[in-house]
Amino acid sequence: MIKDITLGQFFPGDSVIHKMDPRMKIILTVVFVAIIFVVKNFLGFAVAAIFLASAVLISKIPVRTVLKGIKPLLFIIIFTAFFNVFYGTGVKVFPDISWLSWLTYGGLERAVFMVIRIVLLIIGTSLMTYTTSPVMLSDAIERLLSPLKHLKVPVHELSMMMTIAMRFIPTLIDETEKITNAQKARGADFETGNIIRRAKALIPILIPLIVSAFRRAEELADAMECRCYNGGDGRTRYKIYNFSLRDYIASIIMLAVLAIVIVINIFF
Amino acid sequence: MNNIIDVENLTFSYNPEEHSAVVLDGIDLQIEKNSFVAILGHNGSGKSTLAKHFNGILLPTGGKVYACGFDTCDNDKLLEIRRNMGMVFQNPDNQIIASVVDEDVAFALENLGVEHNEMVKRVDEALEIVGMTEYKHHAPHRLSGGQKQRVAIAGIIAMKPSCLILDEPTAMLDPQGRKEIMSTIKRLKTEQGVTIVLITHYMDEAVQADRVVVMDDGKILLDGTPEYVFQNVGLLHSVALDVPQAAELMYKLREYDIKVPISVLHEAECVDVLSKLLEGKIDNHH
Repeated sequence: MIKDITLGQFFPGDSVIHKMDPRMKIILTVVFVAIIFVVKNFLGFAVAAIFLASAVLISKIPVRTVLKGIKPLLFIIIFTAFFNVFYGTGVKVFPDISWLSWLTYGGLERAVFMVIRIVLLIIGTSLMTYTTSPVMLSDAIERLLSPLKHLKVPVHELSMMMTIAMRFIPTLIDETEKITNAQKARGADFETGNIIRRAKALIPILIPLIVSAFRRAEELADAMECRCYNGGDGRTRYKIYNFSLRDYIASIIMLAVLAIVIVINIFF
Repeated sequence: MNNIIDVENLTFSYNPEEHSAVVLDGIDLQIEKNSFVAILGHNGSGKSTLAKHFNGILLPTGGKVYACGFDTCDNDKLLEIRRNMGMVFQNPDNQIIASVVDEDVAFALENLGVEHNEMVKRVDEALEIVGMTEYKHHAPHRLSGGQKQRVAIAGIIAMKPSCLILDEPTAMLDPQGRKEIMSTIKRLKTEQGVTIVLITHYMDEAVQADRVVVMDDGKILLDGTPEYVFQNVGLLHSVALDVPQAAELMYKLREYDIKVPISVLHEAECVDVLSKLLEGKIDNHH
């Protein structure tokens, strides 16, 4: 069923990482991405990988799930590896075979390096979405971006759009299912024919869905006005986030990892 | 001031310049504080359009609407009017804004800039009043229709409005959900002293009000107690409205010259009248 699609792949849980302040999780994820780009050698990656592996274990997210997250990006990983092989210099792997003369140990090393980098990036960032609900994520993003309000960036409006979009995804999925069944009952055929035929068969689903979405939008706007919605000015917040001890400890650990990686870069 | 809503010679059409159809045509209506008024009418009678005038969602083309003593055209008072005149719509799915129940109930309070501790208190109170406390942290789309509608009502009463306008709140609900909503509404009136304006096309709901206003074609057709309004069975039928089954039965009996009282609305009363009638008949045979 379409209903089973989980948005942002959130896995509810009660680990320390789940309980962390979402703002801190976003900040630390950015720091982690920076660490991955700072790393210059395999020893640095080893440190980052050990750190990430322990984070995954602490979060209690099944390792298989985490690895599955790599799958959709497998093509990009292979593609990147393939092209990095060409950029290599140094000793040739097969000096005697002319059509493989481009393959160098330097190129191979570079390819492996890039693959590790991408894999760590994917796992690191998906760990954040696995442990943070989409609602908390959008909330945290709004709060982190709120200084941009002074630059006239419509932070509140963007976050309101995200909140409403997330609220209506299950509703619209339900509706899609209803419309699909209604059209099937009228003899619509979504399963046979070539791709163009099947795409055309979707039109009788999309049009009622879009029309109804507009009607919903209008009603929702009225309902929001009835509840004194007046834009972002002068609003107070129901949910209050506070950094707790675990957030500070996590950031200290992250900074330690960053320091170790820098030291490794300098001395090895 | 005893009237919470005061409508004076209200006319409304969506595009007055283009002379589009007049939706509301010279409405005069006063609604008293702490009353329970039902507005009845079939589809297109203008009842929902009228309701949207009570809190300034729509503004009059002609005439005036005063809510809590404020002219709804007064932009400076609009928030004050909307806070006082809470409005609940038909489809609960299209009024819930947040993905968690308590956050949705807090939405209006966030908009009004209510201070945090007070907000938490009011959210809990509102959920308590509608009996949804145990669903505080649930996702709205997992709730039943009646539960969703109760969350929507909680989101409104958290503002502590003095009047609650409900635009066909039970139209999309199953019988169980309808019962939940009706008992919630009545409790709000008696326990919180909230004025109730219920727009509906269900007769059994209208009967529970203190006063029934029947609308047809943008005008007020009948206005009075349920007992008075539902005596006009012929007139109501002529504008495609039903009457409660008890009233219908009395009307039919009277057509056969059987002397039954005219203002019987509830099942129990009806049973009473019928049993008396039957006993009388049996006596005649002796």
